[in-house]
Amino acid sequence: MTAVFFNKIHVCDPSSGRDEISSVLVKDGMIKAIGSPQSIGSPPKDATIIEAQGAVLAPGLVDMRVQSRNPGYTHQESPTSLAQAAAAGGITSMVCLPNTNPVLDNPDSLAALMRHNTDRIASPRLYAYGAATKGLDDEAMAELGLLAEAGAVGFTNATKPIADSLIMRRIMDYAAMLDKPIIQHAEDISLARDGEMNESVNSTRLGLRGIPAEAEEIMVARDLALARLTGVRYHVAHVSTARAVALIRQAKADGLSVTCDTAPPYFGLNDLAVMEYDTRFRLSPPLRSEDDRQAVLEGIADGTIDAIASDHAPQDRDSKLLPFGIAATGASALETLLPLVMGLYHQGVISLMRVFELTSSVPATLLDLPGGSLSQGATADMVVVAPDRSWQIRGKAFKSLSHSTPFEGQPVQGKVLSTWVDGVMIYADGE
Amino acid sequence: MATDPNAKKGNVAGDSSATTDSDLLRQNARDSQLFASLNGHHLLGIEGMKRPIIEGLIDRANQFAELPKNEMLTHLKGMTVFNLFFENSTRTRVSFDLAARKIGASVVNVPVSTSSIKKGESLVDTAVTLNAMHPDILVMRHQHSGASLMLSRHVDASVVNAGDGRHEHPTQALLDALTIKRRLGEIAGLKIAICGDIANSRVARSNIHLLSTLGAQIRLVSPSTLLPSGIEEMGITTHYDLMDGIEGVDIVMLLRLQTERMQGTETPSQREFFHLFGLNAEKLAEAAPNALIMHPGPMNRGVEIDSALADDHERSLITMQVDMGVAVRMACLEAVAAARNADQQGQAS
Repeated sequence: MTAVFFNKIHVCDPSSGRDEISSVLVKDGMIKAIGSPQSIGSPPKDATIIEAQGAVLAPGLVDMRVQSRNPGYTHQESPTSLAQAAAAGGITSMVCLPNTNPVLDNPDSLAALMRHNTDRIASPRLYAYGAATKGLDDEAMAELGLLAEAGAVGFTNATKPIADSLIMRRIMDYAAMLDKPIIQHAEDISLARDGEMNESVNSTRLGLRGIPAEAEEIMVARDLALARLTGVRYHVAHVSTARAVALIRQAKADGLSVTCDTAPPYFGLNDLAVMEYDTRFRLSPPLRSEDDRQAVLEGIADGTIDAIASDHAPQDRDSKLLPFGIAATGASALETLLPLVMGLYHQGVISLMRVFELTSSVPATLLDLPGGSLSQGATADMVVVAPDRSWQIRGKAFKSLSHSTPFEGQPVQGKVLSTWVDGVMIYADGE
Repeated sequence: MATDPNAKKGNVAGDSSATTDSDLLRQNARDSQLFASLNGHHLLGIEGMKRPIIEGLIDRANQFAELPKNEMLTHLKGMTVFNLFFENSTRTRVSFDLAARKIGASVVNVPVSTSSIKKGESLVDTAVTLNAMHPDILVMRHQHSGASLMLSRHVDASVVNAGDGRHEHPTQALLDALTIKRRLGEIAGLKIAICGDIANSRVARSNIHLLSTLGAQIRLVSPSTLLPSGIEEMGITTHYDLMDGIEGVDIVMLLRLQTERMQGTETPSQREFFHLFGLNAEKLAEAAPNALIMHPGPMNRGVEIDSALADDHERSLITMQVDMGVAVRMACLEAVAAARNADQQGQAS
């Protein structure tokens, strides 16, 4: 395999704290050498030399919440479109939810998905959470031990919570034994029943059923109590409310093993977006109030929120072409994750280093995945970004089969120039 | 303006001086400028509608209400109105049907509630199919909030919202206002209590917007479980006690308990609801002397309203509301047709 030499590029690597012009030699799928241009010297003769002035080289994104739709729903996203969309988004590893058909509640299904990694040619890595309960129906614990052996990186009920308290307690105990995290969509489903959007005067005006912020708060509070009881690593997915952020902040201060992520809609938008019943804004959890959005931003800034995932939930066009209340929830999000998080950097909310901490090094560490680092000897999963280049989000231009994004038309800054997995370029910007 | 400047404002029923200007009524609507500012060329809701438009529609409907019973107009001659009622309705559908015929349009009642396109799942497909038949106006009732706005974005026709989920029912609010105006003359300054199932009521939402735009003071009386979140922010007061809520009001507007939209957790029983929130003659004594009762129908006798009171023609405007429905819908159909013509002329020029 030919070596690749990045000559004098701005490296931003949270795992080592490196944030300066460096030279990087990549060979055999690994970071062979990284350091100041003086210390690295000139490239080997056979190396491909990459000059990328003004660009940033960072660890490739590790997206810890992706609905792959494969197997079972490949009309919404095919393996190919998923890989291409992720690569275009600078994502080198995806962790898929088990809500496929069949559900990833048995080791064979999960192993089949994991085989993608051995067959993989120039595409991002795929990982998966195992289903926490059989059939995701919240009645009986799935075979967590066998799933873990087959490669499950954690357990979750995907887009639904693990709602039954006794089952959750058992799953937490068992996952603690296996040393795997529980990933929870935190929503009290009986309180949120039939809900269509965030509950507020806006839902009242629109005549849509409200989902109160308390639905998230209640589930997080219960889970934190059970996490304290069981000692499990507990992770809240797509945190969207001020009270949940506050509870997690306090639990961390208390020393609990709790982490959380959010997704761009919850720091970028609020429930006023729904005012014309545009189903691109039909999401789960729903877009919340401006106060909640501000609290999510604070949580990102102060470190309460550990990671940002795309929350990619591709839907076919027909599922979105419905009255708001019965339209499918979710958005195509792989290709907008990095620019939207970079928006926080451009707004001065977080540093550039923190952008890649949130989207790469921390999720890799949480789930014990390769990647997320540009240290010498690390797997060469990388992204090259033009940090200031501006462009406009257009769903129609997505490589994903799903073109529905709540950020349609939004101008953003930060463009992926190339994406690398195992030292091989899997995407190059066509412009 | 929508009205003949010579026409009297706020004609009172039975006032023999309320003349019909037949020339005005027989000519085609020339006031398209007024209605060009309807949302596009649609009538989707009252929220955001400017006061002159609301007043224009009410005044125009008031003229139509004066027409002799057998008078058939030709304003919408050559136009086709499709009635699409995804949710069952007798009075509203019949009222729109009659209104469209009386103003000269042809009417097609599309049997969506019994056909394969019953469910909301195929609303856009339905819209595209119907669009190919080139209707001028689509009147739609749908069980989901926002459905009429959605329909309007997929068809060339004008859309008139005949009720969408819990969102709006603009023609009901307009006919309520016309009823009040004809009976009491003015709406500004009236105290009006809207009582009952606010959470599930599109009638309540449209009336809150309309009556407060016209200067009435609105109070809501409802069990806490049927009062939707943050509704006080819409500039109204709320009451849990019926007697408190209707104290001194000029009009008590009752709403139907919409059991089909309820989740079974809102009230313990209809018996208890009637005990606490049902209106009877005794409770009505708290309201202003001669206070009037309205109800959008269909009524649940013994739930929202005592049966005897519902039949009290001295106090109840319920039959008059139904009567005004046709005139209001004529005015609405005329208005969207005018706005539509203005749009088309605008595009042509």
